Amino acid sequence: MDIDGGVEESSRQVQVRFVTKLKPPYKTPPTSLAIPTNINRWRLSDIVNNILEAGVDDWQYQPFDIVIDGKFLRVSLEEFLLAKGISAERVIEIEYIKVVAPRREDISLHDDWVSAVDGSSDGYILTGCYDGLGRIWKDTGICTHILEGHTGPITSVCVIKPKVEGAFDQLVATASKDRALRLWKFDAGKSAQPKKIRAFRILKGHNAAVQSIAAQPSGEMVCSGSWDCAINLWQANGSDAGGDIVSAKKWKKGGGDEEPQSEGEAVSTLVGHTQCVSSVVWPQHETIYSASWDHSIRRWDVETGKDSLNMFCGKAFNCLDIGGESSTLIAAGGSDPIIRIWDPRKPGTYDPIFQLSGHNSWISSCKWHNKSWFHLVSASYDGKVMIWDLRTAFPLGVIDSHKNKVLCADWWKDDSVISGGVDSKLCISSGISVE
Amino acid sequence: MKIPKNKKQQKKEEAGKINEMLGRIGQQLAQVADNSEDSSSDSDFEVVDNESLSEDEGSISESGMEQIEPSDNEDVVVSSDNDEDDDDDDDDDDIGSDGDGDGDGDGSEVDGGESDDSREVVEESDSSEDEVAPRNTVGSVPLEWYKDEEHIGYNLAGRKIKKKERQNKLDSFLASADDSKSWRKIYDEYNDEEVELTKEDTKLIRRLLEGKAPHADFDPYEPYVDFFAWDDSKHPLSNAPEPKRRFIPSKWESKKVLELVRAFRKGRIKFDDKPKEESNLYDVWADDSSLTERQGLTHIPAPKFKLPGHEESFNPSGEYILSQEEINAHQLLPEEDRPKLIPKQFMFYRSVPAYEKAVSESFGRCLDLYLCPRARKKRINIDPETLKPKLPSRKELRPYPKTCYLEYKGHKGPVTSVTTESTGQWIASGSNDGSVRVWEVETGRCLRVWDIGEPVQQVVWNPLPELPLLAIAAGQDVFILNTGLGSEEEQKKIEKLLCVETPTAPDDSDKNASFISWGPDDKHGGVRLKHFKTVTSIEWHRKGDYLSTLMPYDILSPNLNFIYLLIHTHLIRIGHCCEAFYYYLCFCSFLNSLKRESRSVLIHQLSKKLTQRIPYKLRGLPVSSAFHPIRSIFFISTKKDVRVYDLLKQKLIKKLEPGVREVSSIAIHPSGDNVIVGSKDGKLCWFDMDLSSQPYKVLKSHEKDINKVSFHRSYPLFCSCSDDCTAYVLHGKVYSDLNQNPLIVPLEILRGHASAEGRGVLDCKFHPRQPWLFTAGADSVIRLYCH
Repeated sequence: MDIDGGVEESSRQVQVRFVTKLKPPYKTPPTSLAIPTNINRWRLSDIVNNILEAGVDDWQYQPFDIVIDGKFLRVSLEEFLLAKGISAERVIEIEYIKVVAPRREDISLHDDWVSAVDGSSDGYILTGCYDGLGRIWKDTGICTHILEGHTGPITSVCVIKPKVEGAFDQLVATASKDRALRLWKFDAGKSAQPKKIRAFRILKGHNAAVQSIAAQPSGEMVCSGSWDCAINLWQANGSDAGGDIVSAKKWKKGGGDEEPQSEGEAVSTLVGHTQCVSSVVWPQHETIYSASWDHSIRRWDVETGKDSLNMFCGKAFNCLDIGGESSTLIAAGGSDPIIRIWDPRKPGTYDPIFQLSGHNSWISSCKWHNKSWFHLVSASYDGKVMIWDLRTAFPLGVIDSHKNKVLCADWWKDDSVISGGVDSKLCISSGISVE
Repeated sequence: MKIPKNKKQQKKEEAGKINEMLGRIGQQLAQVADNSEDSSSDSDFEVVDNESLSEDEGSISESGMEQIEPSDNEDVVVSSDNDEDDDDDDDDDDIGSDGDGDGDGDGSEVDGGESDDSREVVEESDSSEDEVAPRNTVGSVPLEWYKDEEHIGYNLAGRKIKKKERQNKLDSFLASADDSKSWRKIYDEYNDEEVELTKEDTKLIRRLLEGKAPHADFDPYEPYVDFFAWDDSKHPLSNAPEPKRRFIPSKWESKKVLELVRAFRKGRIKFDDKPKEESNLYDVWADDSSLTERQGLTHIPAPKFKLPGHEESFNPSGEYILSQEEINAHQLLPEEDRPKLIPKQFMFYRSVPAYEKAVSESFGRCLDLYLCPRARKKRINIDPETLKPKLPSRKELRPYPKTCYLEYKGHKGPVTSVTTESTGQWIASGSNDGSVRVWEVETGRCLRVWDIGEPVQQVVWNPLPELPLLAIAAGQDVFILNTGLGSEEEQKKIEKLLCVETPTAPDDSDKNASFISWGPDDKHGGVRLKHFKTVTSIEWHRKGDYLSTLMPYDILSPNLNFIYLLIHTHLIRIGHCCEAFYYYLCFCSFLNSLKRESRSVLIHQLSKKLTQRIPYKLRGLPVSSAFHPIRSIFFISTKKDVRVYDLLKQKLIKKLEPGVREVSSIAIHPSGDNVIVGSKDGKLCWFDMDLSSQPYKVLKSHEKDINKVSFHRSYPLFCSCSDDCTAYVLHGKVYSDLNQNPLIVPLEILRGHASAEGRGVLDCKFHPRQPWLFTAGADSVIRLYCH
C-alpha cells in the first residue's frame, strides 16, 4: 500500500499494527505496516481511513483519534515514541477510536445570562437564567415550561430523581440569589406554548444568596450551599411530608387560581465553611461534597452532620463534581485556569492526581460523564467548553460556540454537551461519542 | 759635641732593638693566648699577683721552650749586634760576673754581660749589647740547616758547639714550677742556651712598655745648650739696613683679613653647614624597591622601557632580519599584535636614520608616567547578592494577586473609585461618567446602575454586612444609597434609617446647619448631604454609623471674602478709627474660630443625622482621612503630613512626616499600628506608629503619582496603584512581637490597564476575604487580579 512516497525516504520507519475496539465496519485486518515516524495523528487517521475504504464499498470518511499505550497521540509519532521511550524496533500497536467532536451544535436563546443547566434527565434540559426564570427545554429551541417565581437570578438548578421510576410528575429544584430555593413539579408532556408554572414549594432559610443546589440520589432531599457559609438540607418531597414543618399558605398575588404554595424550612444545617459555599454535590445517599471560596473541599456525613474530609487547596473553588473511577474522584475548578482531580482514597496526601490545564480563565463548571471513567466536561470564563479525557493532558475537544464567559456546562443524553453562558445562549453540542 | 749624638744614636738603636724584642714577646704572648692555657702557669698566677707582666713573661719563657720556632726577627736582632771585637771581653765578663750574680748559675753568662753593662754605663754603654757576643759564629743563617746536626754552630775557635740535651717536657715543667725565677728565663735558640733576664732587663722592658726612654738615667727634659754664638760679629755677612717691612704691619694682609671678616659677616663664607653635594647621576635600571617603600604599599612603579636587544642594533645579525614573507605575515596581523620594530641592517652607524616614532613614543611615555594613576586600588570583592537583604522568596509568601482573570466593563468614563462589600460578594464602583455601578464579583455582572449626574469622586460601602449602604461623593453632595441587597428585614431597617424629613430652611444662627443639610434624595431614594464645597473623600467608621467627609477648604472662601469686603466698605464709610479697630478685631476672632475648627473635615452620624466638625486646627489642605480600625483615633493627611487625633480626648496624638512632595492617600493596617502613605512623587512610605514619626521604610517604586494605597483586611498584603498603569502588590507582615520590625517584600507588579488622558490606575481595593485585588482604571475597566 502506498502511503507517502516522498516522505518515506527522508525519515525512519516503524512497524505498526492498527487495532480497535469498534464494531466490524471499523475493523481493520490485523496486518502490520511500515509507516514513517514523522507523521501526526491526522495522517494516521487518513491511513486508517484508506485501509477501511479498501474493505468497505461505500465508505464515508471518519476521523479517528489515535491511542498508543493508553495515551492519546497529540504530537508527531516520532516525538511521542521518544517521549514515552517506546522502542521503534518492535511492532507498535496503534489503537484508533472515533474522534470526540461535536457534529452538530444547536443554540437556544434566553433573555438573560444562562447561569445553570442540568442535563441529568434524558427527556429535557433544565436551565436557570439571570432573569429569575427557570426553563425546561425539550430539545433545541423548544421550551416547554417556564419556572416563574424567583425574584433574583437563578444560580443553580438540579433535577430531583423520583423515588419511583416512571412517575408522572417531574421534580426539579432551583436556587436563586433571592436567598430561597424553589421546588417545581411539572409533567413532561408536550405543549405548543411554553407553559408558565409556579413553584409548589419555597424553601427559605439562607441568609444570603444561595449559590448551589444538589439533590440526593434517592430524590428525598436536596442540599444547598450559600453565601452565608452554610449548607442546608431540605426535604424535597413536599406532598407526602408531614405537616409539622410545612405551613401551607395561599399565594395571594396570583389571584388564587393556582395550586397552593408551601414554605419549607431547613431540616439541618452543615456548618464549617468560612466563606461562600460555591458548589455542593450529593453523589451517595449519606455523603455530601462541598467546595467553597475558603479554599477547601469538604465531605460531609449526612447523618452526623460532621465533615469527614477537609481538603485544603490554595484556590477558591467554583465548581465540584464527583465521578470518574468507581465514582470517587473529585474534580474541582475555581479561581484559576486549572482543573484539579483528587483521589480521596489515596492516603496521606492531598495532592491532586491530575491537573488539567487548557483554559485561560476561571473554571465555572466541571462535570464527569456519568458512564465513562475518563471523560469530563469543563466550562470556563474564557468562553470555551472543553472535553477532557484523563488519559491525555490535552483536551479532546473544544467547543468554541460561546462568545463570552461560559457559566455552566453539563452532559446530556450521554453524547451531548450542554452549556450556557453570558451570551444568553444554551448550546447543545451533540454527536460526541464517548468510547 | 759628638758624644751625645752617638749616645743618642745608640739609644735609638737600643730602642729599636728592644722594640723588636718586645714585638717578639708580644708575638709569643699572642701565641700563648692562642694555645691552650697550661695548667702550669696557674701556680704562678697564684704566687705572683701584682706582677702581671712578669707572669706573662714566665708563660712566655715556657712557650718559648716548648716551641722552638726560630723567628727571623731574633736572628736579625742577634746577628746585627754581632761584634767580634768584644767577644773576649765578653767571656771575661761572664766569668767575672759569676760572683756578683744572683746566685743562679744557669744564665750566668748573660747576667754577666748585663752586669757589665751596668758597670760601664758611665762611659761606654754603647757596646752594652755588642758585648753579649754570641758564642755561635754561623751568622745569620736559618737554624733549620742545623736541625739534623748535632751541633748548632761553631764557636770562635772553630769548634763545634754541641746541642744541649733536650730536657724532658715534664722535667722542664717541674723545674720551672720549682724555680721561682723561671719566668725570667728565655731560651735563646741561636746559641742554644737559656738566658735569664736580670732585674735591670725587666725594668728596662717595663720602661719601654710605659713609653719612656729605655734607660732610667736618660732625661728627655735636660736643659738646652745653645751652642750657637749669637753675639754680633765684627764682620757681618751683610751690612744692609733692616727693611721697613720687617717692622711695619702688612697693609695687604690687613686688607685680606678685612675682606674675610666682611665675608663672614655677610654669610658668604660658611663653615660647617655646607650641604653635601648629591650626585646628579643615578642608576636608571636600578631596582625601585626603596622607592616603593617611600610611596607606600599601594604604589605601583611605572613600568620601565624594555632594554634594547640585539634586534634593535643598527647592524643585527642575520637571524634577526625578517624575510619578506614574515613581513607580509606581520601586515596581516591586527594592529595591536604587530611587532613595533622591524630589525634593519645598516652598514655604518652614520647611515642609521632618525627614529621616526621618537617624539610620539616619548610623548606617550611621558603621558603614561604622569597621567596614569598608578596606585593599587583596594577593591572590595563582595558579591552584590550578599548585600541584599535576605527576603523570603515569593513562593513562600503566597497567596497574593498575580493574574487578571475577570474584567468588569460597563463604565463609560474613568473609574475613579471601587469599593468592596464586606462579604466579598459585590463591589461598587464610581466613575467620571456620573454613574455608580454595583457588580457581582463572581461573574462580573453589573447588578445596578445609578446615574448621579456628576463625576463620582468616591464610593464607599458600609463596613457592616447587615447594612448594604453605599456612600457616594459626587460634586458637592454625599449620597447614602440603599443597594437593596439585604434580606427583607434588613431592608426594612435600612429604610427606617434612611428616612429623613425634608430639610428646613437653613438657619443662619446655627453654624452646623449653615453648611450641611440632610435631606432625602428623590431620584435614588437615599439620603443626600449637601456640602458647600466639593467633597473629595469619604470614609466610613468601622461601626458603620459615622462617616467622615473631606472638603479641601480655603480660609478665604467666597462668603468670607464677601464679609471682608463688607467690613472694608463699612470702615471707609464710617471713617472712625476706634470703631474700625473694633470691627477688625471681630473679623480676626471670626477667622480664628474658623481656623481652630477646621471646616474642611466633617463627621456625620447616620443614625442621628448629625454633622460635627472636628475641633482641631488643620494646616494645609486635607487629602485623605481614615478611622483607626480598633480605637477611636482619626487620621487626617494633608499634603505634607499625617495628623493623628484622639477623638475621645480631642487632642493631637502624633504627627507623621513622610517627607514627600505631596501625599495622595493613606491606609491603616488592620492592627492599627502601621500606616502607609502614598505620594504624588511615586513614593510609598511605611510608618510604624510605635517606632517614630519618620517613615520606617520608603519604597520608591512607581514612576508616576501614586493614586491609592490599600491594606488587605486579613492577608499580610498591601498595594499601591499609580498613574503609570501599574499596581504593586507587596507583602507587609506585622509581627505581634514589638522587637521585630515589619517585613516588607515586593511581590508583584500588576499590569494590564491602559492609560487614558495621562491617568492610569485610579483606585485599588483588596477583596475582603480572598487574596484578590480590584483595580479601577482610567480606561473605564475594573480588573480583578487573583492568586
